[in-house]
Amino acid sequence: MSAYRDKDPRIHGIQSKIRVVPNFPKPGIMFQDITTLLLDPKAFKDTVDLFVERYKGKNISVVAGIEARGFIFGPPIALEIGAKFVPLRKPKKLPGRVISEEYELEYGRDCLEMHLGAVEPGEQALVVDDLIATGGTLCAAMKLLERVGADVVECACVIELPDLKGRERLNGKPLYVLLESH
Amino acid sequence: MLSLTTLCSPNETAASSSYQPPVFRLRSYNQTLPPTLCSASDSVANQPKMSSPDEQDPRISKISSAIRVIPNFPKPGIMFQDITTLLLDTKAFRDTIDLFVERYRGKDISVVAGIEARGFIFGPPIALAIGAKFVPMRKPNKLPGEVISEEYSLEYGTDKIEMHVGAVQAGERSLIIDDLIATGGTLCAAIRLLERVGVHVVECACVIELPELKGRERLGDKPLFVLVSST
Repeated sequence: MSAYRDKDPRIHGIQSKIRVVPNFPKPGIMFQDITTLLLDPKAFKDTVDLFVERYKGKNISVVAGIEARGFIFGPPIALEIGAKFVPLRKPKKLPGRVISEEYELEYGRDCLEMHLGAVEPGEQALVVDDLIATGGTLCAAMKLLERVGADVVECACVIELPDLKGRERLNGKPLYVLLESH
Repeated sequence: MLSLTTLCSPNETAASSSYQPPVFRLRSYNQTLPPTLCSASDSVANQPKMSSPDEQDPRISKISSAIRVIPNFPKPGIMFQDITTLLLDTKAFRDTIDLFVERYRGKDISVVAGIEARGFIFGPPIALAIGAKFVPMRKPNKLPGEVISEEYSLEYGTDKIEMHVGAVQAGERSLIIDDLIATGGTLCAAIRLLERVGVHVVECACVIELPELKGRERLGDKPLFVLVSST
């Protein structure tokens, strides 16, 4: 479900602040740049509020954010709903003991890591990122949480690129986004 | 701006051999804002009195104890200050943000710049609470579109941080946020980036300072505010 379809009056303002940068990081890709959204305090606050309104009071104790743009949206949501924030990072960034989950890229593979002990079995978790494309990273994030016994309630992103079918890759896990971009 | 050394109580000296300092030596940070932090309309006469150095905000000790030290990361000999455990303590994380927000709210600050990646965790909640924009400062080739870059020295070699052209306007008042200041190299580069486009950097704000690495001195006349000092 996306809020865009629900036509919340704040959505239009949020959408108008996202900048599309052609041919980044490589030719043919239309990059959805959320940094311009962050320059508008009201639109940024509305973005966070839309997620907080959805998740407050739902017994969610973990907000996991994917490095690096998930670090921008995840903590404000976590703070407002009273959940802990758990950063999911590229390899070798987290000190101490971690678990890793490998995932496929278009060419090659990458890896996402989470601290051991950050999340307890049975906790209810969200996974937050700025955007879902193919869903590969979000999938790896969900697996990390499920491996330690957490229940991933939903994945939440500002933007979805539906043509890349990321939603289907989530294996039935709900996905909530504010905007779609075709 | 008072330097940290003047806030030490008279009994603390480096020569006290019987005193075994804990990993976290708590300093008092109930400082009044320096004149440069005030917007032009504030007169110096309206400033609150300096609070006593021994009055530490009661939230600080829980924040400090929530930070985990990992030895020999990322390489042997380094005692890594890990703030991720602070983020797991909902009250301590909330208090951390509140301490910065209380200091900077209503001071006409329109920009909070956060340094990738841990500055992205603390900067946005502060920006949202004080009504400022959040500007990410990133490693090379991460920001799309037009950027300006600032190179800085590492122990071996150099690194670079980048900011979007047009994110900030000349004359804006800005904070720079990171989780920790060590040598101050990255913060210095961030200050230069903002000043190159005419922004007034009011203060740098970090959760943790490693005073032995003298980052504060490297910032020169730029004020630094931290919650916890680790020796």
